[in-house]
Amino acid sequence: MIQSLSGPVDTRPWWQKLVQNYTLRTFVQSLFTVWAVITFVFFLIRLMPGNPVEIYVNYLMNTENLTYQDAYNRAASQFKFDPDASVVQQYFVYLGQLLRGDMGESITSTGTKVSSQILRYLPWTVFCVGSALLISFLLGMLLGMLAAYFRNTWVDNVISFLASIVSAVPDYIWAILILIIFGVQLKWFNVGDMRGTYDPATPPGFNLPFILSALQHAILPITTYVLGSIGRWVLAMRGSTTSTLGEDYVNIARARGLKQNRIMTAYVGRNAALPLFTLLAISIGFVLGGSVIVEEAFVYKGLGSFLFWSISQRDYTSMQGVLLIITIAVVFSNMLADLLYSRLDPRVRVTGDK
Amino acid sequence: MKRSLLLSLIVGVFLSLPAFAQTVNVAWPYQLPPDGHYNTYASGAINLGIYRDLMEPPLAVYMWSKGEYEGMAAESFGFDADGNYTVTLVSGYTWSDGSPITSADLVATFNTGYLIGWSVWDNLESVEAVDEQTAKFTLGEPSLATERLILTQNLTPASVYGSFGEKGAALKASGAASDSDEFKAALEELTTFRPESLVSGSAYVLDDVADAKAHLSKNPGGINADKVAFEDVVAWNGETETVFPLLQDGQLWYATHGLAPAQEEALINAGLDIIRNPYYSGPAVYFNNKVEPLNNPVFRQAIAYIIDREENGFVSLGESGIATDYMAGVSDTILKTYVSEDVLDSLNPYYVDFDKATELLESLGYSKGSDGSWVDGSGNKLAFELTFPAEYADWSAAAENAAQALNDFGIEITARGVQFQQHVQDVYDGNFELAIRDWGAGSPFPYESYLVPFRRYNGQGELAGEGAGGGMSFDNNVTYSGGEINLLDLTVASSQGTDLDKIKADVTELAKAYNELLPAVPLWERYGNNALNRGSLSVPENGDPIYQNAGLDHFMPYMILTGMAKPAE
Repeated sequence: MIQSLSGPVDTRPWWQKLVQNYTLRTFVQSLFTVWAVITFVFFLIRLMPGNPVEIYVNYLMNTENLTYQDAYNRAASQFKFDPDASVVQQYFVYLGQLLRGDMGESITSTGTKVSSQILRYLPWTVFCVGSALLISFLLGMLLGMLAAYFRNTWVDNVISFLASIVSAVPDYIWAILILIIFGVQLKWFNVGDMRGTYDPATPPGFNLPFILSALQHAILPITTYVLGSIGRWVLAMRGSTTSTLGEDYVNIARARGLKQNRIMTAYVGRNAALPLFTLLAISIGFVLGGSVIVEEAFVYKGLGSFLFWSISQRDYTSMQGVLLIITIAVVFSNMLADLLYSRLDPRVRVTGDK
Repeated sequence: MKRSLLLSLIVGVFLSLPAFAQTVNVAWPYQLPPDGHYNTYASGAINLGIYRDLMEPPLAVYMWSKGEYEGMAAESFGFDADGNYTVTLVSGYTWSDGSPITSADLVATFNTGYLIGWSVWDNLESVEAVDEQTAKFTLGEPSLATERLILTQNLTPASVYGSFGEKGAALKASGAASDSDEFKAALEELTTFRPESLVSGSAYVLDDVADAKAHLSKNPGGINADKVAFEDVVAWNGETETVFPLLQDGQLWYATHGLAPAQEEALINAGLDIIRNPYYSGPAVYFNNKVEPLNNPVFRQAIAYIIDREENGFVSLGESGIATDYMAGVSDTILKTYVSEDVLDSLNPYYVDFDKATELLESLGYSKGSDGSWVDGSGNKLAFELTFPAEYADWSAAAENAAQALNDFGIEITARGVQFQQHVQDVYDGNFELAIRDWGAGSPFPYESYLVPFRRYNGQGELAGEGAGGGMSFDNNVTYSGGEINLLDLTVASSQGTDLDKIKADVTELAKAYNELLPAVPLWERYGNNALNRGSLSVPENGDPIYQNAGLDHFMPYMILTGMAKPAE
């Protein structure tokens, strides 16, 4: 039998090719996941106790000492929210809005678009958590490789010990420790000056003073995120590198007399890092969620802090908007990881076809 | 050269010290734009809560220890011979946008408030300017409660809200219903209105709002600007956990944020003082009257005798949880100003008395079984569930302590924490047996305290559109040793009119009936634990009468505006 030099000819009709296309199927699955999540979120948040009016009533009673009746009158006049409206009807209105690219208006801040709220907070979280993710990933890979190369030596012991310790401490504990020990007790920095996203005296804009101010204010939250996540990267990279070092092709490379540097980078480093890149792709999706407690601790007004506020106010539309953005980020970064893997390992793609 | 440089440096540092000392540092949580904004008639306004007075002056502040109002934006005020109310504003002051403070601002303020349902309009027919500084409030009937609603309002500028005031006045005059299209359109226009800044008529103007803090500088033409001791105010943004490091670090001088006992102790150890001002409210045990025998006042009295309220207050809030003596549904401090001493002496304090509790329970036919549990005639144990808001640390401790005391006595109580927003809804809906909810109110008028058990937790949950719950289903038509009365009607009556003797008589009857029937058992009254850095801020010592001021009359903005609060020497 004579086989074509260009490989087997695909005789499937175009529509079958389309249906069985791995990339397209992954994309459609992702869209379905996003729809399922936003539907779940829509109904779930309405099952939460309290509603925007009731929360505002309690706020007015506590801060302005209004009677329940007075507070209720005031609250009811403020919000375009009818607690008795059909939830199903609200759901279809919401879906219709989303299809038009409109996330609606905030319930508690009448007239304010949810999209403008998200645009206000999103860049800060992307900048801060994104930078932290990149730093902890790169530093974690480097230290993990070092620990693996010098395994069973004091270098490995120290790195692994510290990585285990830091990975066991949640980031919000780091935030409190940094503030109280290094800020309040040791006075290494001014607790008040480091709060917020930038110095109020520096007008926002694309200029050096503002960029420096933003960097200065991001240092503490970035350090916190890095401390909270680097241990995971170190240990993962150490494990991956250790197993790669035992692979036959590495031993053969050594036997061929290749230089250690070349073995480290081209043979070990690249292959050991592969699983971590997939993890990184997934982690990118979680960047947008930020970390509520860390952002609150440093008064770093990002998306996590805004989500916390909108939950406490039961601002359904704002909550939906933030959760939608987070969902899209997580789902599509997973999709990206899937596609990346399918490119790197064709078996995934082939199995998927079957 | 070097010497002169050194000298100028020293002089520079010396000169910079007073400038630093003239900024007072307080704290209040706020949200940034676009959620936060400067329309003080819409939710989400960056008005800094109790510190709003520093920007938009209140007409007057009620001095709780004296029982009288002290004018702020209002120079004089009072009822006319015809029963209406007149307010004359101080003259010679300007808003931060340069416009003078006049009676037009008063008219604009109240007419704009009409659009968002200010309850003062329940008894107010119109507000009209009489002259440049005076406005007349035409009332349905003279009322001290209405007077308070007028005088505690913050004045807002006609230059900003004048057009809304005109719409409000027109809608009021036309009698348009609040659900009419024209009313809704005006309301929407108001709530979506976003002024570029907060125009101030008080001593300070908000000139910068950032994530970390808001900055207020002196408003030279504003009311009280000539009295304040500080050039600037910094309001740090954040809730308790975020401002706590600032308190420890000495950058924040005063915070009203509720501190946990451990935080309070840490701050005391760091040299800070704690101001313990009365809140005129606290937690109480509420009873579902649909459940036997919780509907029986004798049984509720027995419960009151079993719980050691002093211990309950201390384990819950340390020195800030103070047991009440009069057990009349109103803070002891307020009650003293309305009820004569002999009546106060006649009120049952319900101090711990197990013998009395035993006697009361036995009078109802209950007996103590061999296992120490109280049972009814059929041998059924007295067993109830006590719910409480799980997130409120002090109320949780109060519930656990009360449950322990009742269990020890032989009444089986299961304490269960419920998510705090769900808990209030459960009580509105009547889904409870025993529940810890608030009693009292931060108002000098007792009727507001009595509305809590007789209306708010007694079937008012449906107002919020959450279903027709009956609350604690307490029948307000009661018979007590003084006769037959309707507690809610009497409460409402005590809010009306200007005849103080008549109001005192109503409150006296309410107090006696409450003390006897105990619709809810007050556990203790909450006093504040506001952290104060006396090393930076000089204010009167703890115990000064000014600290009796509460709620809308909070003492700190008053002290800043009147110059009572100064930089520490």
